[in-house]
Amino acid sequence: MEGWLTRIATNTCLNMLRSAKRRPELITSDLSEDETDFLEKVSSSSESGGLDAEQRVIAVDLAERLLGTLSPEDRLALTMIDGEGASVNEVAEVTGWSESKVKVRAFRARKKAREALEKLLGHSGH
Amino acid sequence: MKDNHITEILDGAPFTALSASELNTIRAHNRSCGECANAFAAAQLSSLLLKERTSEAAENAVNANPFFQTRVLAVWREQQTGGAWSFRRWWNATGALVASMAATTAALAVLMFVAPATNTTDQQTAALVPYSAESVVLDQDRDDNQLTNDQVISAIYDDDDEGK
Repeated sequence: MEGWLTRIATNTCLNMLRSAKRRPELITSDLSEDETDFLEKVSSSSESGGLDAEQRVIAVDLAERLLGTLSPEDRLALTMIDGEGASVNEVAEVTGWSESKVKVRAFRARKKAREALEKLLGHSGH
Repeated sequence: MKDNHITEILDGAPFTALSASELNTIRAHNRSCGECANAFAAAQLSSLLLKERTSEAAENAVNANPFFQTRVLAVWREQQTGGAWSFRRWWNATGALVASMAATTAALAVLMFVAPATNTTDQQTAALVPYSAESVVLDQDRDDNQLTNDQVISAIYDDDDEGK
């Protein structure tokens, strides 16, 4: 019952995100000064230590915008696996996808997110 | 080592799930490859952003609206007491129909149990007077000696009374 409801909720959310069809590209000119400073600080420090309250707000906002550039499926896979630590099997159960599809989605999503951030880091003085 | 190999390692698994040997391989490669160093930093940043977003979402779930619990309990209580309310709604909707059905049933019951009592009285009279007026008047073949005068008179007058 729980799995059935979870799958229905997941598919409903995916359909809503698909219908939005708005995936703006994350570009440097859209970043605020605080966000640019944040990127420079975080990328220059070798350790990803704890963030202060302001940095956390910036990080969450950047994460939302980064995920907004991905397709709903890629976004779901990346959020669940890399963000929440879910296994490939768990994502497959929730979505009804095959495990290989989950892996491919997660791989593509990581690649897209990394490449988007690479562009930002490259333009923010890295 | 080719650049693709490094990015495939980065993209093949969550950043936090990379093993120590994989991280050592990547770092060793990054010393001589600026592009891969940038890719590594981006992957690290991506992981950091996702973790912050997840922890923020978890905190929001914990620190939900303070009235959330009250509202949930109120809805739950309403559902618990929903039996009486549902009966009232049902009665308002179908009360007239149910009342008319009850009245009809009562009328049928009266007809079933009271009317046979009246018939029983008639049957008792018939038992006392075994001859009807028709049988007395029309049955000419019957031997009149079998009936007394009182029986004939009572049969005729009882049938007349029934006719009224």
